[in-house]
Amino acid sequence: MTDATHGTPLRNKGKSILEVDARTKKRNAAEARFKGYGIAAIGISLFFLVSLLIAIISNGIPAFTQTFVNVEVELLEEKLDKNGNRDIADIKKVSTFGYKPLIENAMVKAAEGIETELSDKDLSKILSASAAAILRDYVIANPDQIGETVEFRLLTSSRVDGYMKGRVVREDLARDKNLDAAHLDLIDVMVERGAVERVFNWDFITGSDASESRPEQAGIGVSMLGSFFMMLVVLVLALPIGVAASIYLEEFAPQNRFTDLIEVNISNLAAVPSIVFGILGLAVFIQFAHLPQSAPIVGGLTLTLMTLPTIVISTRASLKAVPPSIRDAALGVGASKMQAIFHHVLPLAMPGILTGTIIGLAQALGETAPLLLIGMVGYIATNYPEGVTSGFLDPNSAMPAQIYEWAKRADPAFYERAWGGIIVLLVFLLTMNLIAIILRRRFERRW
Amino acid sequence: MSNVMLVLIVLGLGVIGFVLGRGRAMSAAGGDRRNLHSLPMYYGANVGLNAVVPAMLVLFAWLIVQPMVINSSVSGMIPEAEIAEGSNLSLMMSDVRRVAEGLDLAVGQGAMTEAETRSAGEDLDGLRDNLAGVGVALGSDITDSTFAAAQRYRVLAGTGHLWKTIATITASLIGLAVAYRMTSTTFRARNVVERGILMVLIAAASIAILTTLGIVLSLIFNTVEFFRLYAASDFFFSLSWNPSFSGRGGGSELGILPLLWGTLYISFIALLVAVPIGLFAAIYLSEYASKPVRAFAKPLLELLAGIPTIVYGLFALLTVGPLLVSVFGRDGALGVDWMQGGTAVMTAGLVMGIMLIPFVSSLSDDIINAVPQAMRDGSLGLGATHSETVRQVILPAALPGIVGAILLAASRAIGETMIVVLGAGAAARLSMNPFDAMTTVTAKIVSQLTGDSDFASPEALVAFALGITLFVITLGLNVFALFIVRKYREQYE
Amino acid sequence: MEDMYQMDRTMSTEQDIKIRANGVQVYYADNQAIKDVDVEIQDKMVTAFIGPSGCGKSTFLRCINRMNDTIDICRVEGDIRIDGEDIYDPRVDPVQLRAKVGMVFQKPNPFPKSIYDNVAYGPKIHGLARNKAELDEIVEKALRRGAIWDEVKDRLHAPGTGLSGGQQQRLCIARAVATEPEVLLMDEPCSALDPIATAQVEELIDELRQNYSVVIVTHSMQQAARVSQRTAFFHLGNLVEFGDTDKIFTNPEDPRTESYISGRIG
Repeated sequence: MTDATHGTPLRNKGKSILEVDARTKKRNAAEARFKGYGIAAIGISLFFLVSLLIAIISNGIPAFTQTFVNVEVELLEEKLDKNGNRDIADIKKVSTFGYKPLIENAMVKAAEGIETELSDKDLSKILSASAAAILRDYVIANPDQIGETVEFRLLTSSRVDGYMKGRVVREDLARDKNLDAAHLDLIDVMVERGAVERVFNWDFITGSDASESRPEQAGIGVSMLGSFFMMLVVLVLALPIGVAASIYLEEFAPQNRFTDLIEVNISNLAAVPSIVFGILGLAVFIQFAHLPQSAPIVGGLTLTLMTLPTIVISTRASLKAVPPSIRDAALGVGASKMQAIFHHVLPLAMPGILTGTIIGLAQALGETAPLLLIGMVGYIATNYPEGVTSGFLDPNSAMPAQIYEWAKRADPAFYERAWGGIIVLLVFLLTMNLIAIILRRRFERRW
Repeated sequence: MSNVMLVLIVLGLGVIGFVLGRGRAMSAAGGDRRNLHSLPMYYGANVGLNAVVPAMLVLFAWLIVQPMVINSSVSGMIPEAEIAEGSNLSLMMSDVRRVAEGLDLAVGQGAMTEAETRSAGEDLDGLRDNLAGVGVALGSDITDSTFAAAQRYRVLAGTGHLWKTIATITASLIGLAVAYRMTSTTFRARNVVERGILMVLIAAASIAILTTLGIVLSLIFNTVEFFRLYAASDFFFSLSWNPSFSGRGGGSELGILPLLWGTLYISFIALLVAVPIGLFAAIYLSEYASKPVRAFAKPLLELLAGIPTIVYGLFALLTVGPLLVSVFGRDGALGVDWMQGGTAVMTAGLVMGIMLIPFVSSLSDDIINAVPQAMRDGSLGLGATHSETVRQVILPAALPGIVGAILLAASRAIGETMIVVLGAGAAARLSMNPFDAMTTVTAKIVSQLTGDSDFASPEALVAFALGITLFVITLGLNVFALFIVRKYREQYE
Repeated sequence: MEDMYQMDRTMSTEQDIKIRANGVQVYYADNQAIKDVDVEIQDKMVTAFIGPSGCGKSTFLRCINRMNDTIDICRVEGDIRIDGEDIYDPRVDPVQLRAKVGMVFQKPNPFPKSIYDNVAYGPKIHGLARNKAELDEIVEKALRRGAIWDEVKDRLHAPGTGLSGGQQQRLCIARAVATEPEVLLMDEPCSALDPIATAQVEELIDELRQNYSVVIVTHSMQQAARVSQRTAFFHLGNLVEFGDTDKIFTNPEDPRTESYISGRIG
């Protein structure tokens, strides 16, 4: 056995395999270590994934609830309609500023019986700045209610909302000019009374972006529509063009310089940074073609060019997967090559093509950088487009750009919106990917 | 008549052509389709396509050429002397276009009559208010020559529009008539239509070339424009990036080196995270993992790849950045005070590394799987352990492919935008400290093109010079990487 | 050992038997690939496994150095012993076993390294050489035993993949020999080679017999007849007949063997 330690060439001869020698032990330890690295790598990756998901969910879920105050507002006639003739034109002359006193009165009433050091005027700081506008809209729509006392559910300011969600604590308010700790004591009592409550926030999903001072009002709805119109453009352009290009390259293209050039272009375009497509969109569609800036049509065109290589690559793979025998069979009964492809090969490749298209669309839906360059930024997503044409041509934002805009704003209340927006975006992406997976499972054909 | 309307008319003519062509073919065959060379629909399609395609080409060409012709004709009207300091002809022309647009709009909305627009030249300030009233705000004052040019622009555009409509519809009708006359029983309609379809397919395939051309041209034109305003040597060799915010004013320092440094530093850290983790994950998944583990872990890794970069950007800005500060910051767990703020090279690099893990691992997985099983058998058959086989046989065999994958990942890292915009900071800095905030080429492209600065100013145009640098670097990396990977694949095919 | 070799081949004694397999069953998932096979393989002799494709001869061969361990769904039952030691004993490290039982594969599979590194790979991982000079010696010896030394001695650092098919396979044999195994398993080593290269390899196998116990799986009955002393005929996972090569080819006992030999099945 001394042979083993000195390692002479005939070391293996006649040695029992039932005993594991020192060298093998060492080698097995190295093996275990190596395997350990692999497990660690997987573990670290999954850890990153889980922390990312936890960050998204824990930070984003609060965006889906919102704090409201139920207050009874007396719509005083002497403030809103001095002449008493309910003339809409006169009522409209009262600006939101004119509604402030009504709100103050209402808040004083709501806080009745609660001991607080706050002045009556400061009480309404609990409410969102949008309250007056909501009241005004209501009065203009229902002039006959003037003089009555109406119960309103009004948004609280983002800080009160943050307090209810645990984001804002009393210490934070020391240097805050918008809210004092005394407000929070008041809120505590009002919560007990049921006047302040947190409910599901539909406005976040359907609403529009709001100004920097009103995070409590901001929603992702309009930019969702912007994304939708862009995706329509991408689908309508990228799918037919991508399929047509793939059919040519896969079925007709002769082996020559031109074909090579196209192939090289496609594989390189697939790897060009997305921001370069943004520059292209800006220079060609806006600078050169004078298409309207910030419009979903421009975003859609830019994303189409970006998505095309993805779609072409996956479509070609699906076409390639259809066995040549199908083509031969069609040609054998006298179909032209074009007929063989459009009648037989294309339908068989369709599930694969659709799967690739959906994945390309999902990629485009989450893309942000090019949109920033063509001006599809968040702060313009404050109006719903009127009708289909304006949906394509009016300035709008897109979900990821809206999220970016929120992330850039100074008020941390917008961060919660950004995370919430990400949840909405991911729900869309997940749905699209699930559809793609189901399509693949359902129609996958093995030749 | 709007362009949409024009397109609809042409399409309508196409449908009419289809019906006519099909009808003529059928009547020529005496109602028996067996007498025709091709199926009747091909005759219809032939006439329809002839009505649509040439007309569309005419329309498209017109839309491109008309603005150029008008521009060159109108720009001659603006005297050299009137071009203000710090401005240029293209800026003046955009003013002219805005005035013309505003006048059209004002007439369209009824704010001005056609007669009023003609006399508006006598009261330019009033005109300016009028235009503002219809939503066209003008930056600079309207001069006499601008106004005259705008009027001329309107006249030319109007004439051009009329002729465009006539030309398009005529082309459509001629196409329809010619194809209709050609229709006979022996006419090989299918072959003609199929040739037409093939042309469409080729055109679709050529879009890839057009896109690249569009990228290259838009980058080059604007970059040349930039280098006219700013010395190229300063751009490439200056060590300082310090654009002035005044808009048109000079005094900006626009050196790319600090940006390149930030880009490369962040990409380096990203690769430092992504390559070992991604590679080991790929090795484990393809060589060790049992089927269920693979079926579980692989989709999860791919999930990481499907997450949009904006999400990673937010994660860097709001989660990782503060976390790193709480460890490496002033009052951090280590008490080292290396990190001033949440945005830093480390933040962006780390998060970008996470983003690249699935990219590296899935590419490496493919490449490792391409190594023939015979190699593994040969090594295992000699009594090598699995890890010895991987390290000494599989990895060396897969090395070119893996290098290609890493280069592709590097190109992704260099071109990544959202993570660095949100996570890396805004200050251009040449520093070695990975906890400093730095900025990158992509982040500056975004900030220079989304700011308020004038589109013709060097501060905005520099973005194109940055863009072309980025494009050249990533293109070089991609071409090289794809070349290596392809060579590698061929070796085992 | 040398004089034992002089003994009559048919008179196998306990010491002669290198590998003894008893009741071996192999399953791929639910399919049984090998059914209850008993074989005794003698030292310093060439044993051939023949049979139609899919009969399980390669599967059985891969059981002998536990190469089947690398296939997840493969399950081996029964008892295989080398020198009386159960190779499926939980204490056995397959790595050590494979050092003792080398293997040459159907398709020449040199690593994408130099010729020298190909051969030195085994000795290196098993730590057989103390220094460079010793390694050089081992490599030369192995290449000589692989009957390829003269052809490659001037280009030891050229890539092994640059050799011709026959040279590659002899390089693979040299690579297997370099780890000083006691048994050499060969899985259709000539099926990818042209007739001239085949002849060279067959000649080599005959020489190897002096030092190793060789088991060869082959498609070609002529090859089995040329190189082996003992032959086992497999059919549909069963070991149909096992005996001296001369006897199997001239006077088979089982009708299935005869049909195969005479070309009626297979």
